[in-house]
Amino acid sequence: MRKNGYQKQARGIYQFISEHLYFNRPDMEIKGEQFNSAILLSLLTGLKKGKELIIGEPGLGKTTSAEYVCSIIYQFPLGVIWGSEVSGHPEQTEEKIIGRPDLGKLNRGEEDVVWTNFSQIPAKIVDEINRLPETKQSMILDGVDRGNWEYLNEMIINDEYCLFATANYQDGGTNTIIAPLVDRFDVMVESRYPGANLSFLIGKDKRKDHILRHPKYEKDLYLILKSKIAYEKKISKMEEVCNAYGEYLDEVLGVKPYRRQDRDQIRTEMESLEWDLDASAFTRMILAELSFCERYGQKRVVENCEEGCHYTGYLCHQIKNCASNRLPSSIKQYAQGLAWLLEDSEIDIEHIKTVVPYALAHRIQWKEEILSQKERSKRDDPLPIFLAKEAVKTVSQRYREQSEHLKDALAVGSRIFQGGDLTPLEGDHPLYLEVKKDIDARKN
Amino acid sequence: MESSPPRKKSSILPPGKENWITKNPFEEFGTFAASASDLPLDQIVQSTGAVMDRIRRGYEKLLEEEAKELVWMVQYNTIIKAYEVAEKYVKEIDYTAEDIEDFCFALENTQRIPYLIPGPAGVYISALCNYTKEEEIVLKLSELKTEINLIGFRLPKAKRLMIEGDTGDFTGIGLEGGELVIEGNAKNWTGAGMRGGKILVKKNIGLHTGEWMMGGEIYVGGKVRGLGNIVEGKVFEREKLVYPGKVRYPNLYY
Repeated sequence: MRKNGYQKQARGIYQFISEHLYFNRPDMEIKGEQFNSAILLSLLTGLKKGKELIIGEPGLGKTTSAEYVCSIIYQFPLGVIWGSEVSGHPEQTEEKIIGRPDLGKLNRGEEDVVWTNFSQIPAKIVDEINRLPETKQSMILDGVDRGNWEYLNEMIINDEYCLFATANYQDGGTNTIIAPLVDRFDVMVESRYPGANLSFLIGKDKRKDHILRHPKYEKDLYLILKSKIAYEKKISKMEEVCNAYGEYLDEVLGVKPYRRQDRDQIRTEMESLEWDLDASAFTRMILAELSFCERYGQKRVVENCEEGCHYTGYLCHQIKNCASNRLPSSIKQYAQGLAWLLEDSEIDIEHIKTVVPYALAHRIQWKEEILSQKERSKRDDPLPIFLAKEAVKTVSQRYREQSEHLKDALAVGSRIFQGGDLTPLEGDHPLYLEVKKDIDARKN
Repeated sequence: MESSPPRKKSSILPPGKENWITKNPFEEFGTFAASASDLPLDQIVQSTGAVMDRIRRGYEKLLEEEAKELVWMVQYNTIIKAYEVAEKYVKEIDYTAEDIEDFCFALENTQRIPYLIPGPAGVYISALCNYTKEEEIVLKLSELKTEINLIGFRLPKAKRLMIEGDTGDFTGIGLEGGELVIEGNAKNWTGAGMRGGKILVKKNIGLHTGEWMMGGEIYVGGKVRGLGNIVEGKVFEREKLVYPGKVRYPNLYY
């Protein structure tokens, strides 16, 4: 991996947020290093153009943590980030989220769109997404997924964007987030209570928000966002102001944000990181358990497990739905990000074990009996993340016992694909059957 | 309008291989050198067998030392002594909660373990539960013919032991802060001498419940046949507090 100081810069940003803006306790450990999951995953979301759902109690820094990360990674003054946020409420409309007709031009009989700041800037925050009624959540599906924002007959495409959405726990004013939208989030993380002592410090100190404000640059950026020039030109004009703001942050606060070309370079470096064999086999093992059904061919949310199924010991027996194709992609993205940050040359099983619970927690629908069995367990995490971490632990245990044989089975599969006259290896885990199915599909 | 004949579907695959999936989904494993190791299942069975042997030997030693005549009197001193012996053996074994359940079944279903004496067996199982690394232990004992006594003895704080099935006498005695859940019935002297924690019996409970208990709570989903002399703590019957309450006399609750 190239030594260009980007990782050091990322750690500097992490440290700055952690020490000055978002007080927290570390809650995850990888390779002997401790991190706070909310900041670390937000940082990776910003760098990797990901989508993150932040859950937690009201007032525990869900939105502010995302704002700080967006401001520093994308060099936007906090005032612009605030002015570009979309807040979820039942009266929200497409006009407030995406764009509205230019009324002046409309009076003259012309059709033109005034795009919202939210649709234009790369760092997007949807506050309290679960206060949007289900019907209105579908408005942002396409934008969330592809960065395409359409209004009337016009469209802007965000080449670079990341999305943070916050959600409170269920209360009288919340709705459920529709399954297709939930699945589009790469990771879910909890913004946690920092403990009584750090909370006391937060209450004691003055608000720290102002240190990321810069009224002049904010005004400049608003003018550009409001201007009628083409979106591509706006982006390059905004970049100039953002770079000036980045220099201000470096000089005054001592934290060095990334420029657009830095972020592109980082993404190229991350993309070049490949899985090692254990990371690949372990991820396949998890995916097999989350999608396998011997009876019905695959997991489906409308079908129940048969009594006395041979595979009752695996995760497939504990869950209702099937893992989506977005899951491995989310796992890869964040594992690449983590491996890059730790300056590792490959994605290994430790990276996978660290990111999988956060990529899985919001996507799995557990059976009722599992929920009632585990909800009172002693834990530090919210139930979905706890259950996902437990699931990863269970699969890791299985992987420890079976890794060599499993890799053998995959290697034999590869040789059969290359034309070798071999018999697929047998084993109890669903992955062996999945290998067989792929080989059979090749032969038929 | 003149219609053109349907065009033959073009293929980028080699002739005769049109139906083949060309993408090798296991490509990265192509260079993995297969090792000539044992089947993983064999290894698991082997290692589980070794652990079970060690657990069994510990139990046999306990019987040798504490129940030489195959008679075991439940007295305060005998329980403490048996537990100390059990602790000694259990501490040396690396096992999991699953092994404890396997041992419970092996007690009844295998010839290799000679005697199931409910008292020492319960003390030994309690020691296994108290020293396992897992914080939550589930023992499915509903298919056992014998009700094991003394389950949950001295269950420490931060441990949760769930029993699926019924338990015998002296369940959860001397509980030290843990949470003991019995999905079925528990017999007499449940929670005797417990100092803290919680016992939850989903069905009925026998006589002398909470005898000399010093703290903690006992919740009974069914009926309490009789309370013991309780020093401190709370007993609930179907969510209703029955101790402390008006009726305090041992075994004269109804």
